[in-house]
Amino acid sequence: MTQPLLEVSDLHTVFSTKEGMVKAVDGVSFELHAGETLGIVGESGCGKSVTALSIMRLQRPGRIVGGKVMFKGQDLTRVSEYEMREVRGKEIAMIFQDPMTSLNPVYRVGWQVGEPTRLHGGWDAKKALSSAVTMLARVGIPSAAARAKDYPHQFSGGMRQRAMIAMGLTTTPEVLIADEPTTALDVTIQAQILDLLRDVNREFGTATILITHNLGVVAGMCQRLIVMYAGKIVEAGPTTDVFANPKHPYTWSLLRSIPRLDAERHEPLKPIEGLPPNLVDLPAGCSFHPRCVFKVDRCSRDTPALLQVGDTQRSACWVTQSGTELKGA
Amino acid sequence: MIGPSRVAELEMPAAGIETGAARPAQSYWNESWERLRGNRLGVAAGLLIVVLALVAVMAPLLSAVLTHAQPQTIDLDSTFARPGAGGHLLGADELGRDTLTRLIWGARVSLGVAFLTVAMSLTVGTAVGMMAGYYGGWLDDVLMRFVDMVLAIPAIFLFILMSILIRPNAITLAAIVASVGWGSVARLVRGEVLSVKQRDFILATRSIGARDSRLMLRHLLPNVLPVLIVAASLGVGQIILVEAALDFLGLGIQPPTPSWGNMLTNAQSYFFRSGSLVAFPGITIFITVLASNIFGNAVRDAFDPRLKS
Repeated sequence: MTQPLLEVSDLHTVFSTKEGMVKAVDGVSFELHAGETLGIVGESGCGKSVTALSIMRLQRPGRIVGGKVMFKGQDLTRVSEYEMREVRGKEIAMIFQDPMTSLNPVYRVGWQVGEPTRLHGGWDAKKALSSAVTMLARVGIPSAAARAKDYPHQFSGGMRQRAMIAMGLTTTPEVLIADEPTTALDVTIQAQILDLLRDVNREFGTATILITHNLGVVAGMCQRLIVMYAGKIVEAGPTTDVFANPKHPYTWSLLRSIPRLDAERHEPLKPIEGLPPNLVDLPAGCSFHPRCVFKVDRCSRDTPALLQVGDTQRSACWVTQSGTELKGA
Repeated sequence: MIGPSRVAELEMPAAGIETGAARPAQSYWNESWERLRGNRLGVAAGLLIVVLALVAVMAPLLSAVLTHAQPQTIDLDSTFARPGAGGHLLGADELGRDTLTRLIWGARVSLGVAFLTVAMSLTVGTAVGMMAGYYGGWLDDVLMRFVDMVLAIPAIFLFILMSILIRPNAITLAAIVASVGWGSVARLVRGEVLSVKQRDFILATRSIGARDSRLMLRHLLPNVLPVLIVAASLGVGQIILVEAALDFLGLGIQPPTPSWGNMLTNAQSYFFRSGSLVAFPGITIFITVLASNIFGNAVRDAFDPRLKS
């Protein structure tokens, strides 16, 4: 296998709170290869956004306390702030959840979309603006030259997200991190933005990390998938395999809680019982065991590691690691 | 174009409206300016302040051409001249100095000190408030506790002490008043920065590799500017009053340099002899402060997005 573009290994990010230390990212490892789209899935507060922010070293006020983020032969957790700024926006770009607040209200859209090229390429205002207009047109903003003169409040949510994507692409980065890029948008606009991200991935060859809590989005977009729970990766593997045959009870439960068009019988959706754990006071053993329908005695004592289960998947679960299939109930 | 078919299909209606160009691009500043211009009383008050500022700037010219008198020239022939008598439009004081001339020269001091004080408080207050709000943590604690201390000092005693230590002129007086005034600006700016900082565009800008200084000056400052403009325009009137009070107490600009405040001090001994000596500086201060406050309110109505209806 070729050298991965981005390699995160055993990343730990913590936040100090009044209640205690929150391990938002607790030993996360994954690889991102050039040109692929990787999905990171999990419910709110599972650490998926903090993982992304930690790659960019934007996790403040959190602290990275361990692990490595290898990118182009350097460990991003150790490089100087100056070197990190050179990586941000130039080699790794990021798109955020809420396009309504992602643009500065006091500047024209074209000025903002051109900002990365002014910062990194040292381009003058004119050149930056013309590249911004070109890029706005490519992401599907009609009359881009005129629209570049607009202020963000004159753009709709979908257009703002397009503008954010355009801004990320102006410097042709190698990695694009999209943190819930469609969550704040309505369904038709979601489809457009996902199409756009797919086309960007194809045309520019930009490797994409797509963070979402929407399994449907992952199914349509990502070749590989990581499922996170309480700061840890609980399952990883090719999207089709994980969907067809989940190897972790959490993934299994998640998949049963979303509607499927191809279900043989239309049964009521099954929510996952219980609540996500308190990150300050995690249950002993596997964090998911209080909500798990397959749990065995060992689950509340020892924490399972993420190990190969089956041919292509990895799972952190005592049950599946011992060879039991997840079925029924 | 990326994804042309889907885009064309779904964005047709939007594209149609687009060509209609319902409204030209309006920035926040344009809109605020339009709102401000719509407020006639506010515009009138603003113009009055501009006129007063021009009078202050052109004081030497005006006193040569209009009043034919110098502010400190003693003329014992026209002591306590009534308004209008002997070429003294607004009368003269106990030493025969022309009141109008002294008011014109006094405007230099009063307005000069006011503007200078506001400029100093805003500069220092913005810098401190922005650092505290942006960096947070221990720096925020240290800076804001210091602001608390500054604001806890009884201002009048500080002014008395300072004016004993330094002989006040316009610049030192402004510095003395600003040494207290920046505290409230710092608090204001910090609060605003804390709220703007939470918005995603700050994180987004950091994610494209902008350094802290760029974030603060290019991205935070323009978003904080509206509250600064409001604070400045409301502050001028307040500072004019403070300055007049200090002069009146003998802690500010010292005679014989005329200021509106020390003209009042001087006049209080002759209140029953010549009421106009009290009336004219008093009215001048009153009108100026009233105009500043009306203008300040108009600016706030125009610039504060929270008041937008």
